[in-house]
This record gives sequence, structure tokens and C-alpha cells, in this order.
Amino acid sequence: MDLNALINDPNFLPWLIPVGPLLAFLIITLLTNRSKLIPATSEEYGGHHPDYDGMSVPVVTTRSRIVSITVGLSGIIAAWLISWQVVARATSLAHLGEEVFHSAVVWMNTGVSTFNMGVLVDPLTVPLLFMVPFACLMIFIYSIGYMAHDPRQSRFFSLIALFAGAMLTLVVADNLLLLFVGWEIMGLCSFMLIGFWFEKPSAYKAAIKAFTTTRVADVIMLLGIAYLYASTGTLSFREIMYNPAPGAEIVAVEGGSEAIVSEAEGEEGAIVEGEHEGEEGEEGYSSVHAETLAERLANTPALLIPGMSAASLIGIFLIIGTIGKSAQFPLHVWLPDAMEGPTPVSAMIHAAAMVSAGVYAVIRMYPLFAAGGDPHHGIFTPPLLVMAVVGAFTAIFAATIAVTQNDVKKVLAYSTISQLGFMVAALGIGGFVAAAFHLITHAFFKALLFMASGAVIHGMEHGEHHVHAHGHDEAEEHSHDSHGATVVTSHAHDAHDAHDEHGHAHDDHGHEEHAPHFDPQDMRNMGGLRKTMPVTFITFLIGGLSLAGFPLITAGFWSKDEILAEAWAGTTHGYGPHALVFVLLAIAAFLTAFYTMRQIGMTFWGEARTEEAKHANLGRGIVSFTMTLPLVLLSFFAITAGFVGVPSDFPLFGAIFSPEYNAFHHLVGAALIAESSAVPFNIFPVLVSFAVALGGIGLGYLMYWRKPLQAGEVDPLVSILGPVYPVLQNKYYFDELYTALFVKPSQWFAKNVAYEFIDRGVIDGFLHLLARVFTWIGDFLKVMNLWLIDGVGDGIPELMAKSGISFRRLQSGRVQTYMLLLAIAALVIALVFALSTGVLQAAP
Amino acid sequence: MVPLWMYLLVAAAMFSIGVYGVLARRNAVAILMSVELMLSAVNINLIAFWRYMAPENMAGQAFAAFVFVVAAAEAAVGLAIIISIYRSRRSVVVEDVNLLKG
Amino acid sequence: MNIFGFDVLSFLVFASALAALLLVFVPSEQKAIARILALGLSVAIGGVAAAVFFAYNTTAAGQQMTFQTEWFGLLGASWHVGIDGISASMVLLTGILTPLAVLVSWEIEDRVNMHMALILFFEAGLFGTFVAQDLMVFFLFYELTLVPMFFIINQWGGPNRKYASTKFFLYSLGGSLGMLLAIQLIGITAGTFDIPTLITQTDLWLNLSRPDGLFLGIPVNTVKGLAFLGFFVAFCIKVPVWPFHTWLPDAHSEAPTAGSMLLAGVMLKLGAYGFLRIVIPLFPDVWVADISILGLTTNFATFFAILAVLGIVLGAFAAFGQTDIKRLVAYSSVNHMGFVALGLAVTARIYGEQFVTGSTELAQDAIIATNGAVLQMFNHGLSSAGMFLLAGAIYHKTHTRDMTQYGGLWVKAPIYGGIFIFTSMASLGLPGLNGFVSEFLVVRGSFTVYTLLTVISMIGLLFTGGYILKGIRSVLHGPFNMHWRDYKLEIDMREFIAMAPLMVLMLITGLAPNWILSVINASVTQLFGGS
Repeated sequence: MDLNALINDPNFLPWLIPVGPLLAFLIITLLTNRSKLIPATSEEYGGHHPDYDGMSVPVVTTRSRIVSITVGLSGIIAAWLISWQVVARATSLAHLGEEVFHSAVVWMNTGVSTFNMGVLVDPLTVPLLFMVPFACLMIFIYSIGYMAHDPRQSRFFSLIALFAGAMLTLVVADNLLLLFVGWEIMGLCSFMLIGFWFEKPSAYKAAIKAFTTTRVADVIMLLGIAYLYASTGTLSFREIMYNPAPGAEIVAVEGGSEAIVSEAEGEEGAIVEGEHEGEEGEEGYSSVHAETLAERLANTPALLIPGMSAASLIGIFLIIGTIGKSAQFPLHVWLPDAMEGPTPVSAMIHAAAMVSAGVYAVIRMYPLFAAGGDPHHGIFTPPLLVMAVVGAFTAIFAATIAVTQNDVKKVLAYSTISQLGFMVAALGIGGFVAAAFHLITHAFFKALLFMASGAVIHGMEHGEHHVHAHGHDEAEEHSHDSHGATVVTSHAHDAHDAHDEHGHAHDDHGHEEHAPHFDPQDMRNMGGLRKTMPVTFITFLIGGLSLAGFPLITAGFWSKDEILAEAWAGTTHGYGPHALVFVLLAIAAFLTAFYTMRQIGMTFWGEARTEEAKHANLGRGIVSFTMTLPLVLLSFFAITAGFVGVPSDFPLFGAIFSPEYNAFHHLVGAALIAESSAVPFNIFPVLVSFAVALGGIGLGYLMYWRKPLQAGEVDPLVSILGPVYPVLQNKYYFDELYTALFVKPSQWFAKNVAYEFIDRGVIDGFLHLLARVFTWIGDFLKVMNLWLIDGVGDGIPELMAKSGISFRRLQSGRVQTYMLLLAIAALVIALVFALSTGVLQAAP
Repeated sequence: MVPLWMYLLVAAAMFSIGVYGVLARRNAVAILMSVELMLSAVNINLIAFWRYMAPENMAGQAFAAFVFVVAAAEAAVGLAIIISIYRSRRSVVVEDVNLLKG
Repeated sequence: MNIFGFDVLSFLVFASALAALLLVFVPSEQKAIARILALGLSVAIGGVAAAVFFAYNTTAAGQQMTFQTEWFGLLGASWHVGIDGISASMVLLTGILTPLAVLVSWEIEDRVNMHMALILFFEAGLFGTFVAQDLMVFFLFYELTLVPMFFIINQWGGPNRKYASTKFFLYSLGGSLGMLLAIQLIGITAGTFDIPTLITQTDLWLNLSRPDGLFLGIPVNTVKGLAFLGFFVAFCIKVPVWPFHTWLPDAHSEAPTAGSMLLAGVMLKLGAYGFLRIVIPLFPDVWVADISILGLTTNFATFFAILAVLGIVLGAFAAFGQTDIKRLVAYSSVNHMGFVALGLAVTARIYGEQFVTGSTELAQDAIIATNGAVLQMFNHGLSSAGMFLLAGAIYHKTHTRDMTQYGGLWVKAPIYGGIFIFTSMASLGLPGLNGFVSEFLVVRGSFTVYTLLTVISMIGLLFTGGYILKGIRSVLHGPFNMHWRDYKLEIDMREFIAMAPLMVLMLITGLAPNWILSVINASVTQLFGGS
């Protein structure tokens, strides 16, 4: 095959997108992950490693660190370049919705059917192909600085590469199974990365929690996949949702049926060339609406649950997967704990990859969920209703929690849950374009916020070290300064993490006065960081304003506005779910703006509340550079990403950015036949957007900027919220509830019922009883044996012996005895003789 | 004439005394004497039966003569044994002579 | 295909047995010779097994490489061997795992030659069972596998080995007695023990009829039912299907590493294979005939599916409740083999209905489920052998199986940790690795047939995650237990070499399952009357 032609073939290119990171993962894992053993007391650990007293610990060698970074970086850059190349080609096509890039290979044969695996780039894929590789690249660059002194750096980069590869696989997948493969591998990566500092109990607990919680959802999603496959015979997105079903009645016969035929035949062997359904199918789609498999499912009654359509049940199964992956209520508990991982991982999970995957999967399968309903005309299918309710509830639920959190990353974590709720709710009311839009903008500004908060934490740790060095040893100060951030390793997290309930033997430096209580992530310890970390401050502010939806100039405004507009449009028609979503999301948006301002105020504004905060900075050199560069690049997109989706009839801005049509809407909306036009412009939702964003920002400003928190001062919210505050602070006690309801009982059941009672008690008990019964029977037979058989066998000789012994007594050796016997015998004989012959009778 | 049963009665009495002596006495000499007594009882029987039952036949007397001879020989041998036992054991009590006992 | 004048399948059986015999005569003090000889021979035999697998022609599915000759004519038995796609994959699995078990047995120092001989002897039994096409031959080799495994556990096992080996032996033997009777019953009735003949000539056994409806004075259906039960119980014990599984944790946890690997890797498959080869084809009508259990009318296939799901769920829970690492892995076998059993239940149900009513409804689902079951047999062979190898590796170094004694070992054993996680994930059914493909196929196939049961089985799948994570967490994660500070915990080169092929196969099967699935699928499709 001509390699050059292959590489220029847009149908083939998507195959190459995940290859780079996956290859990087393999190379780093197998080849370049070399460590050397270094005593735990060495400088690499800042003189002391709390977990490994007096032993040698493997530390990645400098060479393999550099090679690993290079390999990983090249893998991700390759993915990024190819992705943007594909994006460029895709957006230049006029009708991408119909002329998708697609190719597939035979993956497995079962019976007479074959399962094809392939890649697909269609309008839904394009935005993610734009965002994901770029965000991953930013995260990777950032990690170079952030993880610069971690002893297991190679492993980190290999896992990040695998994470990116899995996400990209998921994005380009042309079928649900391949999507699920990427989905689960991301689950594994999140498990590995959240528990990256596996010595820390809070870290591995969070890792297990994340994996288990998402797995609850995933096994149900697997059921949905199995059900879908069983009822349609395929898992390909296009075959299920866009292409006419086999045997469907198509009026414009020629184009449509030919497309089907060519697909049904399915070229044997390697790569099936791009199908370009559009060329033949255009009339089939646009002029005539042929029934798709998804719609056929909507008319099929479901198994198990009467009164529901198969499409609905499958949809609910699949949505539960999303609820788990995108951390929606009630499976949201894992996401805040996922903060235990290194910060780049948080950015990866929260922005670029994992949680986006959940929303993406729903967008991908949207026609299936909507099949049989039409949210734009008030007809909701059960999956859509579930999404609308869950999403809207999660949005406000998580926002209320975020308001009271003091951990800089926890605030962001709950805001992620809340923002994902926005997207899911938007999907529930049919605004899948709005959801996709918000997904993209959110990814940019949330990645930015996470990395900025990571920089803050890093800076605080640096400040902390500075304080220690300063207070302890004047002479050393200089050397630490000259090291820049080098001395503080990420392991400082372990040593100073207040969440670490087990508490290591902290910090033997001799700084007990600071160390055990200081938490570099606690915003109450910060303040005034704008002075020492200006770049971080500005980028954080941009990201925060975007999250808050600052009107007109931030990306977050446009995407959030579109969701609200979508909801309002339905509300005006009197659709209940729309109204619910609109009200809840508006309140959530208000809270979002408020807690964002609270966070920025507490972190950057005012005066430093601790010595550490006063000295917080990123230092100089490569660490500082690699950590700030992504922030700057991302903040560009946190502002501009919104302009691709400005409604064309929006006053002024529409004319500037969308002179002809709403670019984003035009691109993504084209994926679906049903989604033809954006909602018409309405001033009311825009005003609401303005009001909630500015209101929230204003309130936050009043409370936390105008009168910044002083050192030792209690958060004003505590008194305002009163008894509600501890409830929110403790996340509505969901962790405790789940532990009591699910974790403990299942552990108890596993140990005491399933193992001890059923297996050891009942089954083994029965077996042992059986064995005992047989032993008893055996014993009984043994006794019988002794009595009867041995009795006869041994008895005769024994009898002889015994009688011999008793007869021996006669042999006394006394002649007289013999004589007596003789006499008696003679007498007896005589008597007998006499009697028998009748002598005695005759005698008289 | 004295009827036969009287002789038989005397003989039986003598024999019984002899048997008793043999069985009950511990002294070997006494036992020997008892044996002689029994032999004598037998002799009385032999002679009595000969006289009353078959006087024309000599067998009875002959038997009696034989018995005398045997009794004499027996007494001689028996006494000799007893003496030799006495010599080695200083006792003629039969219980003491148990070398052959199993 | 002939090797040294033997047909290749008979050669596999006899070569293994001869190799075992040869090893017996190696002087017991010559450990190195015994080891290398055993490894060389088993690799060679494994090579032949692989050749057999790849020589299997998928386009002409059905029995291949058959060979039949007179053997025990008095009984009507004959030496009849042959393989279809299902047997071929099992032969391949046996061929792969035995050399690895030999390699792992390097750590045995006591009577090396006997240990190796028993492993090879065991291999002979496995090959014989998988290639047998005659009930008597099948039974012979099926029972033959017990003996070497009994001695391996009994002589080289852990502290509680006497109890475990006795339990194992009695359990298996107890099941086999009924099977022997059932085989004799079939033999007397049909006049032949030849499996293909029994299946193709339906008058002999399948549609057995007597003018008065009686056989030996008993109704024919009762006779069939009893014969069925004989096989059913025997194979249920072997698989093991809940609640016949309690021999397994004891035997697995007490056996030496190689023994556990072979036991979990191949021996359990004998049961599932027996279902596919004998019970399902020979008793199609019995599977779907109505029976009444506790007042509920059901049939054996459904009953079997219920047991399978109980195995999946309770096996996962029981594994989750363990603190002994080998026991945890052992219970994971109950859990995973439950999926095999679930797939087989679907096979039995649909095959039976097809036989009775002739309808081909749901045949495609059954094909998928059966494919899944067979692939799961193969996959479980890989992953459980791998897990036992790793559990054995850490046990060998720490001399404890108590997981609470471990903790944070990853830092001292980074390579081991990576391999452990990889293998655990394969066992967990992570998409992209082998376990997922087969579990997905089983779930997909059984969903339409046993919807509710499949839904319930998801609880088991969830807790599969639970116990796997528990294993990873307690071995690798957490604060380092300073007790092991001066121990060498990293995986040995030899163990690594033994792991490598397993890992490669796990990955390949997960990414592109068609290399083996096409072979399995050809025969499975044929089973359901497809081509």
C-alpha cells in the first residue's frame, strides 16, 4: 500500500491519532523506565523520606527521565498535530455530517456476523479532536515542571500518555465497544494516577473509590452495550443512529439502499475504505427520512420492564455509565477525592479527558436517547428526563457544596461536577449542541484553573520550604533559593497533607511548629498571592471569570448562555423539564460566580495570612516556565473559545463573530438530521445570564475582595449559613452515608455471609457432615468387622488357647489328682454303663 | 455257707479304703500301702468269684497268684523309688515331688 | 499429520506420558538435568500443540486430524481422537501452560524429577481428555489427571496440604463415579462409546426409544435423566459450579505454584469442556425438559444458569472477603468460571430447544454466548495462571499468604507491581485485555436468553472490581511494611520469562481476539447447524 497516499487519506488518519500516546506509553513502560536505588536519606527526598526509613528507594535516573519526557512529549505532539490536521480537513468540508471520515477493520467473528472496529471523524468528533490533544499537551508540558522531582516520574508520564491515548481512542471510536475500551482504560489510568503516591492511605483510598464508583456505572453501561448489540446486531454509531435500518422503507431508493448494500457486504480483510455515505446518501437523508435502528428500537418494547421501549432502557443503562464517569449525582463522590492525585492528573480527569468522556458518550449516542421523543416539542423520553433532572440537580447540588470548601482544589472539583451537571441537563432538554459547546469551553477554562491551582499549591509548598529554611538555618537559605523549586518534591504533599488521617511520622526536619498543621491547599492559609505570583493570578482570574460566566468576553458566558437560552426556549412553550432546568441552572450559575470570586479573593487578594503565603512563588527556571506556559496558552482559549459559538442573531457580537451562521452550531448541529436550527435569540435568558454572573461576582466581591479575610479570621459564610454550613462543608455527608449503606455492608456480606457462612458454614459444613457420616459408617463397619469376622477368625484359635490354659490346670503333676479323676471317670463310666444296660433297673 | 455278696462287700470295702488311701494320703508309703490294699481287695474278688462261679476253672487262682507276684514286685520297686526320693528330697510327701509338672 | 509414525494427537498424549516416564528415571539428585529436560520436553510438546492449533483449518470446521483404531474391542470402545476448534484452543492452552508451570517449578528443591514427571504426566492426561472422541478414552484420561495433581498437592503443597488434597481427590472422584455409571449406561444402550457416532446416529441414544417405553424396566426418560445427572454433577464439580466449588479454594491455595497454575489454568476447563463435548450434545432434550425444583417448574438449563450466576456473584463476594492472596485468586476462578457456566447454560438451552423444536430462534445469541464461554475458558486459563504465578512469586519470597502482612511492596518491586496490575486488570476484564472480550460475549449472548440473570450477574462483575482492587491495594499500595525492608521482593527473571508469554497473549487476545476466536467460532457455529 502506498504509504504516502495512506497518510493523506483522511479516512485513515484518525487511526494514527491515539497511536502516538499509546506508543509512548509502551516505550516508556518497557524501555525507558529505569530507576536507581537511592537511600531514603539522600537529597532527592529533601534529606528524609517519611515512608522508607533506612532503606533504599528506587528513583528514576536522570537519563531515563529525560528520555521519558521526550518520548511522551513527542507522542502527544504527534497526536496533537495529526488531530489538528484532521480538524482542519474536516472543517473545510462543506457537509462533514454526511461525508464523515470513516474506516474499519474486521475485529472478530461470531457466528455468521462480524464485528468491525474502526475510527470515525464526524462533526461531533471535531471539537473534541480540537480540544483534547491540545489540553493533553498542555497538561504534559505542565507536568514536566510540576513532577520535576518525583522519583517515579517515568511512570507518571507513561500513564499520562496512556490516559491521553485512551481518551483519543474514545474520541475517534466508531462504535460503542471501542468507546468503552477507551472509557475503561481511562478508568484504570485514573485509578493509577489518583493513587500515584500510593504510600498515602488517602491517595489509594481515593483511587479505589474512583475506580469502584465508576465501575458501578460501567457494569450497567456494559449491560446497555450488550442489550444494544443484542437488539441491533451492531454497535457502530452511524449504523445505529444515522444510517437507515436494514429493510427500512426508503423512498429515495437509489442512494440510500446502495449505501446500505455496500455496508452490509462489508469488505473482507483489512481496511474498509471510507464510505462517504453522503455522496450516495445525501438525497436519502435530506429529502426522505428513513427509519434508523435507533428509532426502530424506540418502537420495540423493552425486556424486563413493561411499558418502556428498548431504546429507553438501553438509554438509561448507558446514561448510568455517564452518571458514573461524569460524576453526576448520586455517583459524584469519587471526583472530589480524585484530588489526591498530582494536580496534572486532576486537570486530566476534570477537564481534558475522563469526565468529558461521559458527556461525549451521551452526545455521541444522543439520537438513541432521543429516539421516540422530541424535547424541542415537549416530548421527553425517559433517558432524557433522567438526564434533565439529574443534571440540573447535580449542578445546583455541587455548587452549594463548592461554596463552603476551603481546599483550593476541592472548590474546583465541585465546580466541575456542577458544570458537568449543566451539560447533562442541557442534553436532557435536547440542547446537545449547547452541551458540546460547554464541554469544550469548560475543558479549556477548567484545565487552566486546575493547573493554576496546582501552581498555587506548588508556590505555597515552595513558600513553606522557604519559611522552614529561613527560620531554621540562615546559612542554608541561599542554597535553597538557588535551587529554586527543586528541593520541594511532590512528596511534600505526603508530609504535609492535613487530609492524611493516618499521619506519617511527619517531617523530621525539626519544624514541628509549622509542619504538621500546614496545608498548602487550604485557602485560609493563602491570601495576597497576586503579588508573588502575578502570572498565575491573571490566568487564574481569566479562568475564574470564564467559569463564572463573565458576560460577553469569556468563553464560559457564551456556552452557559446557550444552555440557558435552550432551556428558556422550551420554558416559553410550557415544558416542565425545561423550566426546571432553567431555574436550577440559573441559581447554580449564580452560585458558581459567587464561589469563584470567593476562591480568587481568598487565594490572591488581600494580604498574606501566613508566612508561607508571603513567600509563595514558583521560583525560576524550567519548572516555572513549563508551569506557566500552559496557563498562558490556555487562558487564550478560555476567552476566545466562546466566540466560535456566538449566536448569529446576538446583538453586535453576532455580527462580529458569526456574520453568516453560528460556526459551532453549524458544525456540530449538522451531525444530526433533526437538529437543524439554533434557538432564536431571546433577550430574557441573556439578561438572566448577565444577572446571575454579575450578581454572583458582585456578591463575591463584596464579601471577599472589598474586605479580604484577615489571618485567623473565620470565613463570613460560617455565620451567614449557620447550621447549614457544616452540612455543606461535609458534602451533605454522602461519603459517610455510602460507607454506612454500601461499603460496610458489602464488606460484611463478603466476609461473613458469602465466605464464612455460605462456603465455610453451609457448603463445607454439609461436606464435613457428609464426611463425618461416612466416617461414622466406616467406624461402625469396622466394629462389625472386629466382632463378626475377626471374631470368628481370631476366636477359634483363641478359644483353643484359652481351653488349653484351663485344661492345663488339670495337669497338676499330682498323681492323686489324676487318680481321683480316673476314679471319677471310672465311676461315671460305670454308672453310664450300668444305666445304659439297665443293670441297675434289673438289679432289684 | 457264706454267700458271695458278703465277700464282694468286704472286697469292695477294702478297695474303697484303698482308693481313699491312695487319693487322700500325702505320704508316699501310705499310698503304696493303700495300693496293696486295693490289690488285696481285687484278690478277694478273684478268689470269691472263682469259688462261687467257676470252681472247675483254675483261672481265678492263677490270676490271684499273678497279682501277688506283681504286688510284691510293685511294692519293692515302689519302696525303692520312695527311698531314693527321700534321699534326694528328705521328704516322702507326694506334693513335693512335682518335677514333671507342666 | 503424523509424527514418528503416530498421528499427531496420539503423539501429543504419548509423548507427554513418555516424557514423564523418562523423568522418573533421572536420578533425583540431578536437579538441573531434571529441570532442563522437563523444560525442553514440555516446550517441544507445547510446540507441537501450537502447531496442531494453527494447523486447524477453520474453513472446514468439524473434526480434524482424526484417528481411530481398535482398542478394547470387548467393550466396544475404540481409540478415537480428533479435535474441533474448541478442543484445539484447549490443546493450545495446555501446550502453553505446561512449560510455564515447569519453569515456575524451578523453585522446587525436593524430588525435582518426580515433580516434573507428575506435571508432564498431568499434561498427558489433559491432552488425552481434550482430544478424546470416545467416552471410555475420555473417562480414562479425565480420571488420569486426578492422580498426578493429587500427588503434586499432597507432596509439595502448603501447610494444610493433606486436607486439601484429600478433599480435592474425594470431591472429584465422587463426581466421577456417577459419570462412569452414566458412560456405561450409554455404552450398554447404544452399543458404542464413540462420541461422533452417538451424535450423528440419533437412534442410538439421542432418540432412544423402546417399544414399551421402558429400558431395564425403567422409563427411558428416567434413564436419560439419571445418566444426565451423572455427567452433570461430575462436570459441575470440575468447573466448578456453585455450590460444588469448595474444594477449589483449598486445593488451589495449598498447591504449589505450578500446581495452582495448571489446576486453575487447565484442569477447570475439563469440566466446561465436558459439558460442551458430552453433556450438551448427548442430552439436548434433557436440558430443556421441565423439571420441578421446590415447586417451581424450570429446566436444567435454567437451573444451571441460576447456579452459574450464584457462582459469579457469591464467588466475587467470597473473593472480596478473603485475606489470603491465593484464596482470593482461587475464588476469582469461581467467579470467572461462572461466566463460562452462564454461557454454557445458554448453549444448552438453545441447543436443546433447537433439537426438540427445530427452531433456530436465538441461535445467533447462543453462538455468541458459546464463543464467549470457550474464549473465557481460554482467557481464564491465561489470567488465572498468571495470577497464581504472581501470588506464588510473592509467597515464595515472603513465605506468607496473608495480605494484611504485605503493603506498599510496589516500591521494592516495581516490575512485579506493573505485571501484577496488568494481570489483575486482565482478570478484572478491563477492555483492551482478554477477559473483557469473552465476558462481553457471554453477557451479550445471555442477555436475550436469561435477561434477569444476566442483570444479576453484573453484581458479580462489580465485585470483581472490588476484590481485584483489594488485591492490588493490599499487595502494592499503602505505607511500606518495614518488615520486608531487607527482603528481595522483585520478580525473578525466571518468573518474568514465565509471565511474558501470558501477558503477550492477554494483550493480543484483548486487542485482536480473532486469532483464536475464528477457530472457536467455526466449530461453535457448526454446533448450531451453521456452516
